[in-house]
Formats: sequence, structure tokens, C-alpha cells
Amino acid sequence: MNLIRLILLSLFIFTHVQANTIYNLIKIPNLEIYEINKSNKLRYLYAKQPFTIGVDNNINCYNSEKKVLNEKFKIIQKNLDRYNQKFLKKINLKYIVLCEDLSISKINTAGIPDHIMKTLIIDIKFDERYFERVIHHEVFHIINDSYKEIFDEKIWSNFNVKNFKYAECSTCTDKIGLDTYRETDGFITEYSRSTASEDMAEVFSHLMIGLSLNNSDPILEKKIQFIKNNLLKIDENFIL
Amino acid sequence: MIQKIKASKSEKIIFIFIICLAIFSLGSFLLIKDKCLFVKDYNPEKIKFEKPNNIAVLNVPCGNVIIELYPEISPNGVKRFITLVKSKAYDDVAFHRVIKDTLVQAGDLEFGKKENIDYGKIGTGKSGLGTINSEVDAPFNFKKGSVALARTQKYNTEDSQFFIVLRDEPLYETEYTPIGKVIYGLKALEKIKYLDKSQYVLRPDYISTLRMLID
Repeated sequence: MNLIRLILLSLFIFTHVQANTIYNLIKIPNLEIYEINKSNKLRYLYAKQPFTIGVDNNINCYNSEKKVLNEKFKIIQKNLDRYNQKFLKKINLKYIVLCEDLSISKINTAGIPDHIMKTLIIDIKFDERYFERVIHHEVFHIINDSYKEIFDEKIWSNFNVKNFKYAECSTCTDKIGLDTYRETDGFITEYSRSTASEDMAEVFSHLMIGLSLNNSDPILEKKIQFIKNNLLKIDENFIL
Repeated sequence: MIQKIKASKSEKIIFIFIICLAIFSLGSFLLIKDKCLFVKDYNPEKIKFEKPNNIAVLNVPCGNVIIELYPEISPNGVKRFITLVKSKAYDDVAFHRVIKDTLVQAGDLEFGKKENIDYGKIGTGKSGLGTINSEVDAPFNFKKGSVALARTQKYNTEDSQFFIVLRDEPLYETEYTPIGKVIYGLKALEKIKYLDKSQYVLRPDYISTLRMLID
């Protein structure tokens, strides 16, 4: 027993500083390469073990079974393949982290975008009904964060009826439903009503998925045009 | 009358053992002392290069490291590197960041010079020439021996610092500006001083000289 302790202790003492390239690049521990040879140069990484990051370690995510990972990767890849390398470089997105049970301050979330670190963390076990849509929703947050001046929230908010007000933040409201409204009134989902940024992301994600939106809704029509026009300002060849 | 004492068999064995031990100890001491013992030192004058104008010779404690530069991949990055090499700016500059078997980094001209090294600021120094834009769009395979310009967390902040990878680093493609590859002498870089517990090296090894083969 003592010998084992001695061996363990010596390993601890003599272990060299670990050269974790992924950690050095994006400051998330316990990740490994899943796939990096994609034409749009996205780097797919997966959690080999659970990880904790963020202010006061408030972001947590867990490793997945290989089978689940393989299944979900196909879906994620199919959706993200729609963004070419040029566009991804412009919006500053490069690393896709795959893990499950993603939470921020103990609130479960579909994804956490970080355009500074060029990273999008995706919860691969997020509700399957909305899974593909939320991938684009989170990509929009990267776009928005990189081009705040283009996606002006004041202009956006003015599209809404006069007495409408968004919540202070996306987590300060109980409007979290993601079902698409059959009859829209300027908003596509209940979650659209949370903040201007979430509203934009909802419109964008519906456009990317190709869901038919209500043409007779003048507010929604303005919002759609706003998103489309501004995306073309970022990349004139962007195809929705 | 003094009687001649004949050594017993066991005494002879002990004597031979002590001699062997002494030879082994001396040998080990010499091996440990000379970290460059098995490192081949390449003489660039004796090697034929296809593009001699693109060859830089980095002299480090264990010998010469011969780097082929790739101006066709990163024209501005290579231009900056050559400018600094020709002004002898890299001479006596520390390998301030070294990760065993992974990478060596040098080129802090402000805080990494031998005569006025500043351990508190090393790695943050500038060349005085300003930053240049990243050149990360061209495909580049970051194989062992690749040389690239270092930068801050942001793109377009490359200046004088460069690093050489001691293992394949595929994730560095499109992340860092590649400027060349070590074609001879990588072993000499593997002997650069590193620390077990930190990437930043106290009392580091220094670049002796860095020159273009053809000035």
C-alpha cells in the first residue's frame, strides 16, 4: 500500500507541465479532437471528461457516450456545413465543443457561444424537437456578438408594437417556450419575447431551418428583412 | 620477514566491481553534464539547398537549427522575420516559453534579451516595428518542426516572437501564421532548457545567433 502511495506521489511530483493544446487555445479543459478535417475548417471537439469553466465555475458540461456523440455529430455537422469557412472566419467561429447536460449557473441551456474564444459549446442531448434549430440559434449569437453595431437592438425593438417591452435578460423571464407559433403576432416563439437578441436568433434559426413563416405578419416581415439585409452586409454571398 | 599476501577471489571481485562502479559513475556524470552529447551539429555550408535564399540558421546551445522559410505561404510574416534576422535582433534572446517535447518560443526583443531580461514581463515585449496581420488562410500542415509567429489572443498581433513545434499540432492550422519549417537540427531544440512545473523558464537558454544563410 505504501509502495503504491509512493509511486502515486512520485508521479505527482515528477509529472511535467502538461501541454494541452486545446486548453491553451480555448481555455476549456478535458477536451479531445473529434473531427478537424472539414472543408469549412470547423474544429469539432468533445468532452472526454466533465468540465467546469466560467466566472465562479458556473458553466458545467459532461461527457457523452460515444454512440450518442456519433449520432448527434452527424446532425450538427450537416447544419454547420451550411456556413463556409469565409463566413465563419468573419463571425469568429471555429471550435465546436460537444458535451451533454450543459448548464450555466445551474440553468440548463442548449448552447453557449463565445465569439472571443471562437467557440460554441453545444448540449448534444438538448430536446430533439428543437435540436437542429437551436444550433443555428446559437450561431446567430456568435454573429450578433461579432457585429453588435449591425444588429442594432433599438432598431429591432422599434419593429414591435409600442407598449411591448423585452425582459432584462433571457434568463430573467419565464417565456422560454420554443414551439413555433401557428399564428404569429410579431414573434415566432414564446422565447422570442425574452430579449431582442433572442428574438433575432429565433427569426434567424427559423429562416435557416426553412420553416415557412407567416407572410401576413407585418412585424415579422420587417424582422425577417432586417436579418436578411444585415447578413448580406457581413457576407454578400450568404445564403439563407 | 614480510609474507606476501595473495588477494582472495572475493577481494578481486570487489576490486573489479569498484573499478566498474567508478567508470560507470564518471560516465554518467559526463553524460548528465553534457546535454548536447548525442546531438548532431549541422554545418549549413556543407548542405545543398534548393532555395538558399530562404534558409535561416538558428544557433542554440546544442548546435545549428536550419530553417527553411516559406515566403509564398506567409509573405508578410517571413518578411518581418527576415528583417529582424538581418538586423541581428534575435541574438542573445531567450527561449522564454518552453514546453517539453511540445514547443519552444523565443523572440521577445524588449524583455527577453540576455543583458536585461525581465522575468515579470517576458513574453509581452515588442520589436518596435509594430504588429502585422495574421496570415492563416493558406493551408498549412503544422507538422513537427513547423515555425510560426506567436501572437496574443487576438489575430493581427504578430510581431517578433516565434515558436517552433516539437510535435505535430494540427489545431494550429488557421490559428497561427506559419513562416517555415526546421529541416535539420530539431534535436538541438529538444535540448533547450525547460521547467517541470511552468511553461515560462527561469534562467533560460538563449539564441546565440540567428542569420540568413545568404545575407
